[in-house]
Amino acid sequence: MKKKQVVSILLASVMALSMAACGGSSSSDSAATDDTAATDDAASTDDAATDDSASGEKQKITICWRDDGSDMELNANYQQMMAAYEQWDKKDQVELDFAPITASEGDYFTKIALQLADPSTCPDLVCEDTFQLPNDVSAGYLTNLDEYIADYADWNDGLYYESMAKAVTSADGSVYGIPYCTDTRGLFYNRTVLQNAGVIAEGEDWEPKSWADIMDACAKIKENCPDVVPFGCNSGVATGEATSMQTYEMLYYGTGERLIDDNDKWIVNSEGILDSLQFLSDIYTNGYGAPLSVVLNGQGSTTLEREYLPQGKLGILLDGIWITGAWKDTGAAPWDGYETECGLAAMPTSEGQDPGTVTLAGGWAYSIPENADAKDITWEFITEMMKPEIYKQYILQAGNIAVRTDTAEDADYAAQPFFSIATEFLETADFRPQNDQYSTVSTSIQKMVESVVSGTSPEDAMAQYATDVARDVGDENVAQ
Amino acid sequence: MAKPNRAAMIKDQAKKSVLLIPAAVLLICFFIVPIVLTVYYSFTNMALTGANAKNFQFVGFSNYIKMFKDPNTYNAIKNTLIFLVGSLLGQSVLGFIIAYLMKNKAKAFRSVVGPCILVGWVMPEIVVSLCCLAFFDMSGTMNKMLGLLHIPAVEWIYAHPMMTVVIANVWHGTAFSMMNFQSALDNVSGDIEEAARVDGANRIQTLIRIIVPCIKDTIATNTMLNTLSTLGVFGLIWALTGGGPGSATTTLSIYMYNAGMKNFQLGQGTAIGMLLLMVGAVCSVIYTKVAKED
Amino acid sequence: MSEKTTKAIHYVILTIIAIVFILPLVWLILASLDSGANQALKWPTTWTLNNFISVLTDTKNLRGFGVGLTISLSQSLIVVVVSGLAAYPLSRYDLSFKKPLMYVILFMTALPMIAVIVPVYKMFLNLGLLDSIPGVILYLSASGLPYGIWLMKNFMDGVPVELEEAAWVDGATTMQSILKIVAPLMFPGICVVFIYTFSGSWGNFFIPYILISSADKQPAAVMLYQFFGQHGSIAYGPLAAYSIIYALPSVLLYILSQNYMSKGFTMAGAAKG
Repeated sequence: MKKKQVVSILLASVMALSMAACGGSSSSDSAATDDTAATDDAASTDDAATDDSASGEKQKITICWRDDGSDMELNANYQQMMAAYEQWDKKDQVELDFAPITASEGDYFTKIALQLADPSTCPDLVCEDTFQLPNDVSAGYLTNLDEYIADYADWNDGLYYESMAKAVTSADGSVYGIPYCTDTRGLFYNRTVLQNAGVIAEGEDWEPKSWADIMDACAKIKENCPDVVPFGCNSGVATGEATSMQTYEMLYYGTGERLIDDNDKWIVNSEGILDSLQFLSDIYTNGYGAPLSVVLNGQGSTTLEREYLPQGKLGILLDGIWITGAWKDTGAAPWDGYETECGLAAMPTSEGQDPGTVTLAGGWAYSIPENADAKDITWEFITEMMKPEIYKQYILQAGNIAVRTDTAEDADYAAQPFFSIATEFLETADFRPQNDQYSTVSTSIQKMVESVVSGTSPEDAMAQYATDVARDVGDENVAQ
Repeated sequence: MAKPNRAAMIKDQAKKSVLLIPAAVLLICFFIVPIVLTVYYSFTNMALTGANAKNFQFVGFSNYIKMFKDPNTYNAIKNTLIFLVGSLLGQSVLGFIIAYLMKNKAKAFRSVVGPCILVGWVMPEIVVSLCCLAFFDMSGTMNKMLGLLHIPAVEWIYAHPMMTVVIANVWHGTAFSMMNFQSALDNVSGDIEEAARVDGANRIQTLIRIIVPCIKDTIATNTMLNTLSTLGVFGLIWALTGGGPGSATTTLSIYMYNAGMKNFQLGQGTAIGMLLLMVGAVCSVIYTKVAKED
Repeated sequence: MSEKTTKAIHYVILTIIAIVFILPLVWLILASLDSGANQALKWPTTWTLNNFISVLTDTKNLRGFGVGLTISLSQSLIVVVVSGLAAYPLSRYDLSFKKPLMYVILFMTALPMIAVIVPVYKMFLNLGLLDSIPGVILYLSASGLPYGIWLMKNFMDGVPVELEEAAWVDGATTMQSILKIVAPLMFPGICVVFIYTFSGSWGNFFIPYILISSADKQPAAVMLYQFFGQHGSIAYGPLAAYSIIYALPSVLLYILSQNYMSKGFTMAGAAKG
């Protein structure tokens, strides 16, 4: 105890010295002042809420989401927030502070965890991928929303899909976030490419029945359209969860296996894993995959969806429905005529076995961190953002699947290209394990996939995966 | 050391040590305390998120046992050694050759060649990564040059990832060795060389028998400093390959970051950090020994 | 082989090496002046300065440079001053604990500080120092200190003590003799420590990346990492321009002190380790 005191006194004196030392230039001045404010905040977090309301000054909601590096104004979440804010009757009392994290998907969750843990830098509103939610709930990082939910008519009247409500409910039955989108995955294809390659005739839809059909299509594309990359998918560590879910799990669930067995033990050694990895290995060793320099960096999927597929440089892309959001004329990479140029096929199971096709559904939620300063007002803001008319605008722009039943029935929404198919996928969709170890296991999956696409044998990669998972979750949680 | 007025100095020895206090405070707060904490945390199951983020427990040696049972650890050690040896050889040998050949060359020539070598050193490591990323790209400078010789393009960063990061580090670090050797060679008296030459020794013999022994201190110092900076390299590899593809360029520092930050297992990460500290400590002891002998 | 041919071969080898060392920069320079730059090496179809203009007119970028300069300059200054002060008693006095202390310092220079990032993060979290620029400066200063002290002490050993004796006779205090006699004489050494610290700090993106979360407090190094790094990049032209601007302070500092630098290295060599 005494030691700690001594250390902090020493520290304080050094701080004072250094503050004095950097008072030279104007830029350092502002930095130093900022910091004093931040430190004060930290000291008085507990009474920050009362301070806020008492002072009569504007309350500030700090909002954090993942920024992929493109223009913030075009971001659908940003537009939703601004729309909700503009019409809000509390607009004059509240100020929005946008603090997006510029990071690849892999780094985003690390940065979020670092911020959630720290009272002084914690945002008031955070976008959480539902797979990360159980982890952050068990860490005590998120606010239990039960009290707020009790008065939220839309929620209690069943206007949110049950599957999505389940995704934000923890094991103890409490709600920790309001879902704002869900999604399904499938095979997007460029019709012109597939026609030129002789995979489909004009006006025909592509309906692969098994993985072998996909391989055949790739072979034809490679033979007949040598300049086109046949098959694109998230393949690296840098694309993070997208690699686990859009690529690996779409394959793996199609073998009929699941990541976790009935006793909540992780499966790390199976035929299904090998088959899935073999598929990826075949794609890349046969030269069907995109160049590694494209897919193994964090912009990989963005490049494929916004450049390769629209420009006819890619035949087939295994990805999620939201990629169509970027192609709209309001999106980041408008693709004129994508409704007819692009097709969407369901991902087949490995050998066409029942149920014939497979998809996974995920989703994101707005959560309030436990360390947030302005919880009440943030909750109100969330309900504003989720108002039907504002939410509809958002979901149309995001190109994702709605979580509100009333929005799903909206004519504009239903008229969007691909949405009837994508929503149909949802009926049979699988979800990722609701397990707080999943996000850690997922990083091992990404590493395994990246090893295979860069030349490691499926057997070696699986053995490595088995070791990695056992290390991270403990031997007792691995199926033997 | 000269010791003027020794008695008076001993008298106010304590007073004169006052000048050490700022350094001591900084080092204790931000150097020694973190190291002590590293030791402590490495025996806990602390996590960045998940249940162990709230209440972490003392888990004894379990992080270390896991670490030494994990083939990833040996892979990371292997990669660290390859990266280290490759960088050291590249930087020192190239640095020495340049310094040696530059000796007694026209001043104008030296003032053109010198800055060319220095450019890589002056660049911050992120820019080094960017330059190398573009240099080794499919349609980058390297492949364009090979194309002139009708050699097919190679995806260097994915086909030969370790070689790529070593070359990047050599580009970045050679100038430091060059400058060290230049100043050492300037101090080697020309007379000795001349004498050896008169005795009939050729250039290579002179180099090995006369010059190298003369600058062996510099060789040791230079090797040590390069070892230390190479062990600590993180940003260069992280920005260039992220430790991949797979784990082909995962050195100990990347491995530590992945375990601690990316997989959220802070306790496990600090145990790897301890391993990294140990490697540094061993190098340091060797170096201290060498320094003592002189 | 005649002396002349040997020399000619040397010139050829050196020229080749120099060209090879310059090659990676060719792309950087061309891309920064190309309106349609990508990772490929190509001659720009349209030359432009817009990449530089867009980088320099973006207030976010300018703030990044400002923050970066604040961090790196403060850190270098702290390291120079603190290590200079600490080196004096270590060089001049016969302190009983000097020898073990020098070994401890030498030992500390060998520790890769990246290994303690997790405890530093936790410590900063508990002290409320996260997202604080002074916090980052202090941590970086401490990690640069051991090497700084060690270099400074060796440089200081090279300054003859007799000069100071004369000053003492004239009644100068320790501080005065450090400032007026020792510091000017070992100026090259001070430059070496300053530049070494500055360039290490200026290029360091990892420490601020972990310890700073607000976007407006992030130094240029972190912004550059976010620009590309593993994330890949869309805008290579501005990225190349940003990199060139970002590299300038290190280059300038080096050019300004080039003479001192080579002297400094000579001193470091003379004061054997």
